[in-house]
Amino acid sequence: MDERQHYYINGIGIISPQKTFEHDQFLQEICAYESNVLTCIIPSFKTYISPGQLRRLSRMHRIGLTAATMCLRDANVQVPDGIITASGYGFLEETEKFLTEMLERNEKQLTPTYFIQGTYNALAGLIALSTKCLGYNNTYVSKGFAFENALHDVMLQLSENSTSNFLVGSSDEAAKVLYAIGMRAQYYKVENIPNLKLFDSQTTGTIQGEGSAFFMVSGAPSATTWCAIKDLQMVYTPQHEGEFNLALTSFLEVNKIKLSEIDVWVSGASGNIEHDHLLHHLEKTVLQQTPQIRFKHLCGEYCTAVSFGLWIGASILKKQSIPDILKVSTPEFSLEKIETVLIVNQYLNRNYSFVLLKK
Amino acid sequence: MSQRVFITGYGIITSIGKNTQENFQSLTLRRCGFGELSILDTIHQKDLPACEIKLHDQELREAAGIKTEKGYTRTALLGLLALQEAIHSAGLSLTDIRNSGLISATTTGGIREFEKFFYQITDLQQQGDFDQFTDTANPGEHCERIADHVGIRQCIATVSTACSSSANAIMQGAQLIKAKKIDRVICGGAEALSKFTVNGFNSLMIVDPEHCRPFDNTRKGLNLGEGAAYLVLESEALVNQKRRKPLAELKGYGNANDSFHLTASSPEGTGAFNAMNLALSVAGFSAADVDYINAHGTATENNDLSEGMGIQRLFREQVPYFSSTKPYTGHTLAAAGSIEAVFCMMALQHQIIWPNLNFSSQMQEITISPVREMMQNTVLKNILSNSFGFGGNTSSLLFSLV
Repeated sequence: MDERQHYYINGIGIISPQKTFEHDQFLQEICAYESNVLTCIIPSFKTYISPGQLRRLSRMHRIGLTAATMCLRDANVQVPDGIITASGYGFLEETEKFLTEMLERNEKQLTPTYFIQGTYNALAGLIALSTKCLGYNNTYVSKGFAFENALHDVMLQLSENSTSNFLVGSSDEAAKVLYAIGMRAQYYKVENIPNLKLFDSQTTGTIQGEGSAFFMVSGAPSATTWCAIKDLQMVYTPQHEGEFNLALTSFLEVNKIKLSEIDVWVSGASGNIEHDHLLHHLEKTVLQQTPQIRFKHLCGEYCTAVSFGLWIGASILKKQSIPDILKVSTPEFSLEKIETVLIVNQYLNRNYSFVLLKK
Repeated sequence: MSQRVFITGYGIITSIGKNTQENFQSLTLRRCGFGELSILDTIHQKDLPACEIKLHDQELREAAGIKTEKGYTRTALLGLLALQEAIHSAGLSLTDIRNSGLISATTTGGIREFEKFFYQITDLQQQGDFDQFTDTANPGEHCERIADHVGIRQCIATVSTACSSSANAIMQGAQLIKAKKIDRVICGGAEALSKFTVNGFNSLMIVDPEHCRPFDNTRKGLNLGEGAAYLVLESEALVNQKRRKPLAELKGYGNANDSFHLTASSPEGTGAFNAMNLALSVAGFSAADVDYINAHGTATENNDLSEGMGIQRLFREQVPYFSSTKPYTGHTLAAAGSIEAVFCMMALQHQIIWPNLNFSSQMQEITISPVREMMQNTVLKNILSNSFGFGGNTSSLLFSLV
């Protein structure tokens, strides 16, 4: 892949626990949650999905298909050249429905609807059907790397054909069964915490979130371009602070970016005091002089939450403004022109990634 | 200049053998894994026979050298066993492994354990040993677990595109190497039988209680199977540094979407045609260069019609030899692509085409028919391997003799 090649985000559609589906808004209205579960604020599906199709789709398929359709409209693309989706747990509500029916009915008299809807690649297939897209189609389900894998795949596909338009997106739902799993696995906080106070907490665990974000990525800019993705790197289970800081500085070096050039960094801190330690270390060392923003208090934590962070980064570059709700107090934000944004995400202190965005 | 992609090792476990040698023997002796279920606890043990690996989890743990560590699902155990053989077969050192990527595929991950302990896991009042399987409904869990076990730290990905999953895992690995993102990546898939899968496919009414008959006019559906296989993909640059000759070259790959129906393929085989055609074009080959196709051939009415039409449309008058090996192993879902890729490696190495068992009557919609007897004196240079799945996913890989 040509290191100088850029990948342009030419359209976005995003449905999240904030009102993100209207692009003329950028977090002007904030939804506050009192419980530890954040669920999507949904638009009118009828504007995006035909009534016949709507009836047959589960909640998360509606959200995903709508986000994808919004993205296509925003990019002014009818049929993408390829579709790549990412999800940590897939359509767990449907999987659970089939599973509990199977257990309750002792494996008898089962209908396949929930089995089909729970399939991980169902959304990518559904979008292909809806857009009549015969091209490349793939789905990643790699925990906290799923969205990064999908984005990386797009970059590979575009390196073989740079003029293509690839639709890449995420979907993860705040399923009740996942909350139970997450409580047992100690992913979520035991105490109740308002989402807007997430980063004040000094405890382990995080809050549950969900969302679906789609991006139209191409090797060439268009009239609807939001920003360019310069590069992406994943770091798996870094063992200590030194290793992680080195991974970041090498990533910046390879991309010939000086620390002083990064106007703002988007931290994927999850409010878990243990899991965030490498990011906290980063803000005290390598990125000490760089203004920081955070986003997981707005969307909650989920495997593909980095896609919400990508929307934040792209919006900042397009709109040249940073909503106060994202800002972390120090250092001061005195930005005239925002040209370079760095996203640093972590999931369960295992899946780390860097995404470099340019205006 | 992009890098060429070579296969330098592989490993496999299926119902017809727990390693390469056993699988080779079974294929050659027409030995199939089809039979009543005895390891999976389901009411369908007798009425829905499948191709089950007749080893209990504890035996798999012992074979994989796991002593006390907890949380290994059957999918992870099968994956680990195949991965260990692949690593050994390619002669990888610990440093080599550390610098490798792992792209694994699954359709259900650890759902087998999750369904077993579902009520305990979701009741937070309960405590017990089941706790180790808390997060096994996550499909990416098996991949991280086996990566951690062998020490792979680069490029970790899990693909899930239904029954084409591991073909896409192999394709993604090839593209990473071609683009010089990494020099070595181990790709494949792992799938354990579960009640979830057995009942899901049964509810779709595409499981044949009899032994499956791919491309036969009387075919009534698929047999499920379980297994895992991984291939070690290495760059040309890396192969040139070594003294060992690679086993084969991955010359082409194609991924397309049939865009017809979520659980059915188009009767004219649009996706099948496009995937095979793309694989040929990436390789710079014409249809006449293909010597054999390892077909997806699940023996569902729909798949074999669609695939048969796609093959006929692409190859016209010169359809190469083709066969489905599903009667041997059953349909191993996400693992099928990599298991059959390993069969293609063995076919190239030994210049053998394994027959399509249980074929007796010609399909009426197409004029072509599969290979029925083992062929040992044919020249095999280039092989296509097809994998198609729900969601319209169709993929084809092209392997060539070096």
